[in-house]
Amino acid sequence: MTTVPAGPRTNERTVRGAPDRRGVSMPRVLSAEWTKLTSVRSNAWLALGTVVAAAGTAHALGLFVRPGDGRSGSWVVTSGFVLAQLGFLVLGALVGAGEYTTGTARTTFATVPRRLPVLAAQVLVTAAAAFAVALVALGASVLATAPARSGDAPALDLSVPGASRALLGFAVACVAVALLGTGLGALLRRPADALVVGVLLTSVGDHVLAANPGLVTDTVRAFLPSSGARLVQDDAALAALDATTLGPRLGAWGGGGVAAAWVVVVLVAAAYRLRRHDVR
Amino acid sequence: MIEVEALTKRYGSTAAVDGLTFAARPGMVTGFLGPNGAGKSTTMRVVVGLERPTSGTATVDGRRYADLPAPLHAVGVMLDARSVHPGRTAYAHLVAMAKTHGIGRARVREVIAQTGLEPAAHRRAGTFSLGMSQRLGIAGALLGDPATLILDEPVNGLDPDGVLWVRRLVRELADEGRTVLLSSHLMHELALCADRVVIIGRGRLLADASVREIADRSERAGVVRVRTTDPEPLARELLAAGAQVTPQKGGVLHVRAVTVEDVGTAALRCGATVLELGTESGSLEEAYLKLTGDAVEYRAAGGVR
Amino acid sequence: MSAAATAPHAARTASNVRSGPTVARVAAAEWTKLTSLRSAWWTAAVTVLVGGAITYLSARASSVDPGFEPLDSLTAGLVLAQVGPLVLGVLVGAGEFRTGAFRSTFTTVPRRWPVLVAQTLAVAAFALVTGVLTTAAGVVGILPSAMSRGMTVDLTADGGPGMLLGMVLFLVGMALLGLALGALLRRTVPALVTALLLVLVLPIVLMLASDPLVGGGDAATMAAAADAPATTVVGTLGVLLPGAAGSLMTTSASAGGMEGAPDLGPVGGGLVLATWVLVLLAAAALRLRTRDVR
Repeated sequence: MTTVPAGPRTNERTVRGAPDRRGVSMPRVLSAEWTKLTSVRSNAWLALGTVVAAAGTAHALGLFVRPGDGRSGSWVVTSGFVLAQLGFLVLGALVGAGEYTTGTARTTFATVPRRLPVLAAQVLVTAAAAFAVALVALGASVLATAPARSGDAPALDLSVPGASRALLGFAVACVAVALLGTGLGALLRRPADALVVGVLLTSVGDHVLAANPGLVTDTVRAFLPSSGARLVQDDAALAALDATTLGPRLGAWGGGGVAAAWVVVVLVAAAYRLRRHDVR
Repeated sequence: MIEVEALTKRYGSTAAVDGLTFAARPGMVTGFLGPNGAGKSTTMRVVVGLERPTSGTATVDGRRYADLPAPLHAVGVMLDARSVHPGRTAYAHLVAMAKTHGIGRARVREVIAQTGLEPAAHRRAGTFSLGMSQRLGIAGALLGDPATLILDEPVNGLDPDGVLWVRRLVRELADEGRTVLLSSHLMHELALCADRVVIIGRGRLLADASVREIADRSERAGVVRVRTTDPEPLARELLAAGAQVTPQKGGVLHVRAVTVEDVGTAALRCGATVLELGTESGSLEEAYLKLTGDAVEYRAAGGVR
Repeated sequence: MSAAATAPHAARTASNVRSGPTVARVAAAEWTKLTSLRSAWWTAAVTVLVGGAITYLSARASSVDPGFEPLDSLTAGLVLAQVGPLVLGVLVGAGEFRTGAFRSTFTTVPRRWPVLVAQTLAVAAFALVTGVLTTAAGVVGILPSAMSRGMTVDLTADGGPGMLLGMVLFLVGMALLGLALGALLRRTVPALVTALLLVLVLPIVLMLASDPLVGGGDAATMAAAADAPATTVVGTLGVLLPGAAGSLMTTSASAGGMEGAPDLGPVGGGLVLATWVLVLLAAAALRLRTRDVR
């Protein structure tokens, strides 16, 4: 408070250990969070399970596609999203809340007492990991649906309007779900709570509301994070969705915008709690 | 240098720490002592910024912990041995910590060797015994080669070898000019390695003094103990010389208000055969119990008044 | 009890009749543990509120239909309300292991399996109360819409009592399913993921397989679905999932089965859910008997 010299740091003590004593910086925290993510074996199993879930679901659903269904080739490939998003949600929730349930938070936030860089790093690390896993899942889904394509299912034709957007959208939507999980985890600080809320927001809520179509329910549906799933649909499927809704029509990217807004709001709330509240 | 000033931390209506002021200085091991629930861990958590004080301040080297540019180099912290993800290896845990400050892997291996963790470094922390977790916690505290160390009950769960090692380690760290704040609920543990002791009870400061000074507050401090074959004549002789005498079992007398020399000459005068003679050094444990006991009594009495 | 505390010889008598843990005593202990958890009460409260609110909204939304039948909306809230008992069960089943409380539990009751039986009883009782309240909230939820149409709600009408009973049993079944998964997997997150997957997510996946409209298919090509066989593999799998089977209990026997699925009826659906619960509980008991707890 009083005697700390400003300006160039005086060498109060001989430097004994590491030569570089500059302290905490964003790239360093990022690197630490990446180590934390990759050093827990269950995360690797989770990633593998997510890829298998995506490819397995796509494979199985592909077998049920008949020519007259009006499903496109991209629909078959990305159909694993409905199941795989649970894996991404768990991944995010574990990154966000795992700190608190395992007590690692004490170490982490004593090491980086400004706290917010940790959350930012967790967001970036989760996004990177989720994106990578989503790409692998997408590739695996393409391979897994090959038998279906040689049967009744339509070929994966990127010239179909919106097909390439749907494939890219798969990865983007997966990242969004993972980040929602991270935000909910950091906000609620318990993985179980984050999971239940996340599942309700990303799939069940939409499902419940869909059973009671109406102006109010369709409007609410449009503004749930589950709208992010619109990213994995091609133009024809989106048109069909928009034709049946009584609520707002979100268009090609509107669903992604809604999901992104949720991610931002939840993360801001988590950041607020992190700044304001004690860590135990 | 850790300075805590008028620190208060409340949870709802209960005050875990209540107007606490003390300092831990460089080159010294400062023992932080109090019964369970006295507020030691809360104070330490406030010092390292995990919890916000309700009022008052806690600073390290004159700054709030959160304002330190390189906290790991300034302060090494071990709060709870189980502050590790059970699925992560000890090595990965330390590497992740090290990366936040750009510390290299060589230093991680160094602290692993220093804390005797090599055989377990690549095992998942969830499989560790309490002693192993404790060593991992200490390794994390040493990682940044900090000028200040805050260790919460570091000997908890360690085997006798480990206890000796921790005592020697904190001694060395203090001798190198570092500030060491070490909590315990065992007085005799601190008596062996601390220079100064801060005692708290119910969140309030009870004593802040050197180990010697605390011992002098013991009931038995300044008592001369003499064992003789003839306690009765000696006791009479001593009483006549103005001493206070408390007879004990086995021909032992506890004598107050006179010196060892006075007791010796009194024995010579009355012809008592002296088998043992010496001053009782005050027991820290007793002094501690007296202090904390007083605190409890004070609270109870205050309630009645 | 107070006499025993004051009279010294009475205390001796008490020590003479010392006997170990019985299932009834362990059940009482588990009941205390359950009801002393704040999260249990929160879960129950949210379940009742969500059940009532969703039912109310659903009834209001469909009350404009010409063929509005209030009782049809009664079960609308259960789709969300079932999550409450499910989560509660998982928390109780896995909670012991997650928190380390099992060490004192299993040293107190070394034979272990009475603990599982006791947990089942305690969770069932708690879920029963929650289920009754949630069902009552559902009934309250449909009243405003029925009144706005000038209709009366007759719960004693054909199939009414069975439906109400089915709703309560369904919620109890969900709680026990969660408990069994929690006790078997011993970790909250994996157990919760499995439970949510079985009850909530897989039905949606199977629906995608059987209903092109959900995936954004074109309504014009829906004719293709109409000529599907009466019983499909997907439909059968769907109805055998614990959540779907259990929800059959909340339908009347005359309602007919789900599309593409064999018609199990309320009793058959209940039996399928009960089988899930019993098999998982048996697996948990086996693991408890044969594996170490750490």
